[in-house]
Amino acid sequence: MAKLLVIWLSVMLMAAALVVPPASAQSDEFAMANSFYEDKDFASAIRLYHSILDRGKESATLHFNLANAYFKSGDLGHAVLYYTKAQRLAPADEDIAFNLDFAKQFSRVQMEGVQLNPIRTFFETLVRPYQLQQLGWITSALFFMLLGALTVRISLDHGTSWLRIVTAVSLVILVAAGSLTTFKYRHDFLTPRAVIISEESPVYTGASEQSEIELHGAPGLIVEILSESDGFLNVLFENKRRGWIKTDLVARI
Amino acid sequence: MSVRIGNKKLFGLPTLLLVAMLVAPTAQAQDDITVSVTLDRNSIGLDEQALLQVEVSGSSQDLPKPHIPSLPAFEIYSQGRSSNISIVNGVVSSSVTYRYLVIPRKPGEFPIDQIAVVHNNKRYKGNVVTLKVLNRGSSAADDLNERAVGAEGESKDYFLEAVVDNKNPFVNEQVTLTLKFYIAVQYYGSAELTEPTTTGFWNEVLGNKAPYYQRINNRRYKVIERKYALFPTQTGELTIGRATIRATVAGKRKRSRDPFGAFGFDDFFGRGVEARASSRPLRVNVRPIPQENRPPDFTGTIGRFNISAKANKQQVELNQPVTLTIRISGTGNIKSVAEPALPELDEFRIYRASSSEEVSQQNDKLGGAKLFEEVFIPRVPGDLEIPGLSFNYFDPEQERFRVVSTKPIRIRVTAPEGYNSDSPVPYLPPGMTIDSRAHDIRHIKADLGKMQPVGRMPLLTIGFLLFNAVPILALIGSIMIRRRREKLAANTGLARARGAAKIARKRMAQARALARVETLGEFYAEIYRALTSYIADKLDISPHGLTTDSIRRILNQRSTPEGLTDAVTGIITTCDYARFAPTSLSQSDIDQTLKDCEKVIVRMEEVRFG
Repeated sequence: MAKLLVIWLSVMLMAAALVVPPASAQSDEFAMANSFYEDKDFASAIRLYHSILDRGKESATLHFNLANAYFKSGDLGHAVLYYTKAQRLAPADEDIAFNLDFAKQFSRVQMEGVQLNPIRTFFETLVRPYQLQQLGWITSALFFMLLGALTVRISLDHGTSWLRIVTAVSLVILVAAGSLTTFKYRHDFLTPRAVIISEESPVYTGASEQSEIELHGAPGLIVEILSESDGFLNVLFENKRRGWIKTDLVARI
Repeated sequence: MSVRIGNKKLFGLPTLLLVAMLVAPTAQAQDDITVSVTLDRNSIGLDEQALLQVEVSGSSQDLPKPHIPSLPAFEIYSQGRSSNISIVNGVVSSSVTYRYLVIPRKPGEFPIDQIAVVHNNKRYKGNVVTLKVLNRGSSAADDLNERAVGAEGESKDYFLEAVVDNKNPFVNEQVTLTLKFYIAVQYYGSAELTEPTTTGFWNEVLGNKAPYYQRINNRRYKVIERKYALFPTQTGELTIGRATIRATVAGKRKRSRDPFGAFGFDDFFGRGVEARASSRPLRVNVRPIPQENRPPDFTGTIGRFNISAKANKQQVELNQPVTLTIRISGTGNIKSVAEPALPELDEFRIYRASSSEEVSQQNDKLGGAKLFEEVFIPRVPGDLEIPGLSFNYFDPEQERFRVVSTKPIRIRVTAPEGYNSDSPVPYLPPGMTIDSRAHDIRHIKADLGKMQPVGRMPLLTIGFLLFNAVPILALIGSIMIRRRREKLAANTGLARARGAAKIARKRMAQARALARVETLGEFYAEIYRALTSYIADKLDISPHGLTTDSIRRILNQRSTPEGLTDAVTGIITTCDYARFAPTSLSQSDIDQTLKDCEKVIVRMEEVRFG
């Protein structure tokens, strides 16, 4: 029985080694994609970057380089898509933020009449430099501190003044950190978003091509997905205009 | 230049100019009176009335009253005047507006002209306006007289009438529906209206008009009007359903026994009755738009419109957007106005950005403007032209198709520094950069960075969950411990019972230390105390009163495992025997007693003493 188990494990390890290339193989492929990029062979670079992504692994740099390749090849929609993905993994990265802002300027349609919600903008500014993991761990540490203080208070059967201060301070900071973490989670993961990738992207008043055209989108515009029906997505633009767009004209972030 | 009489020079040129400057304003002041004549509507029914306004304006403080000529087709009644004075940059101007109610006497189209004022022996004539008095679509006076009479020949206190201004409209042409509530008695509160059904029409409420009075069958009725703009969406005969209005009106005065009733207190205290009136349904025959001479790109827009186009820039760099705003304005269903066709232009990439509407109404006609924004991005540098855009519509009054066009717009497109027409990369003009140094995106990175599974939900890791679970478990544990501690503190019996085994184990440890022949007496005394104290603690009683018999009785009363009672009493008997006749016991007896006692205490843990 033990012998069979050893054989089975060996086979599985070998299979895994064959299926999942080691990190060095990915690095080689990545380096090769970069060299294609340097040679201005953006199509080959894009193909290789995608082959790394297709194995189920991602990194902020991989998305960033892929976005650069798309931008250089003139595909603004996919460029914005992958810059946005890169920014979600590395929100503090200045290069990603720079290139994303830079690329967005090339969108043929600039959103006018964007009414910014001051509270939302304030929260976005606060959480932008941080990853969800960072905020989550900070919140957990505060949670740990608060529950630890409560546990000590319960165990000692009486509360000292410093223990009360620690409890109160931990609670206040925990509420603040928890709010920021929740906001970040909702903003980055719960709110489905997409980028328009098609050159011709009519937005209809209903989920049908027979409906009236509400407006025309453009590659690089980021929209919030409200619902989906019959191959159409009900999307909300930054300026709060909404409409239905065909699913294949956008790429989900 | 000079003015001479004979050889005598009277005035030089400067003197003449000075006089001219001083006299000119006076002369101008004499001539600047204007008379503007307007009607609040261009067509009315026979039983309707129009408001004629004559505005006399000028710099004079004493503006004359207009003279209204005799108009055989109308009765004219003055409705008062209002005046306005304004001072702009020190120049005083004033205007007086005279209002007249115009009531038609017969149907037809009548010009109203010869309205004029006389000021300083000079006559100032106003513009001509034309009022069309319709026989069709309006409730004729006779009909209205009939409507005002009840079934028993009595004059109605109130009734509701619906009229349309056009019973044969084209599809999508506006039909104005007017609901008129005639009421000759006092009413309380606000009336409640059930709107008519308008199946087959797209409708827009134009609103309520200011109430006015009308005499029918020698009775004075207050008339409250509400208007609707209806746009038929299909051809054929369409029906506008009944509208119903409910209001509380003053009831018929009956002979009252109330002495105050004779003095009118009935009305004062509002003895109202609910009034309910319905209009008659109306039929409208909707005509299709003619096929003859119909332009191929006609989109069904009907009304009267103008078109204009404006670019936000006249000069741009290559690849920079120019927004062209096309404005189509006029009267008609503005919402149905379709976007004008854009030409295919090689020099531009064209994108439709947005459209918006501004709906307005003028003289009960719905209209407004529709704006289309198109983004033109020049592909090549040079002097480019956006050609004129055409828009066609059907004019229902003229019953013919019309085309309106914009003028061509010239755009100068400059090629910025660094432009290379062969580059496949989108051009990155310096003006589009975020800072002055940036001319391009930042370069790719060489380090792949930390790889992670695609779409992995952050924070859903075992470490993170454990980290959060630990303080929760610690808190729960501390709460449980505290509760147990409080429970034991409140119940000494329970505390003794719970601590019995622990004390027994301590005593057994002491007994184990004394398990020698030399300390035989102390050993058995400790064993005895361990057993009796354990049982006493479990029962929350004193150990001093416990004897072999009482212990047997206690254990027998509980469901003790078989043989346990005998084992306990046997050990106690051995202890008694050893304490009083110790010489007959050996080390093996001591060890055996120790083992038996340990087993017995373990077995007694299973007994429920409580």
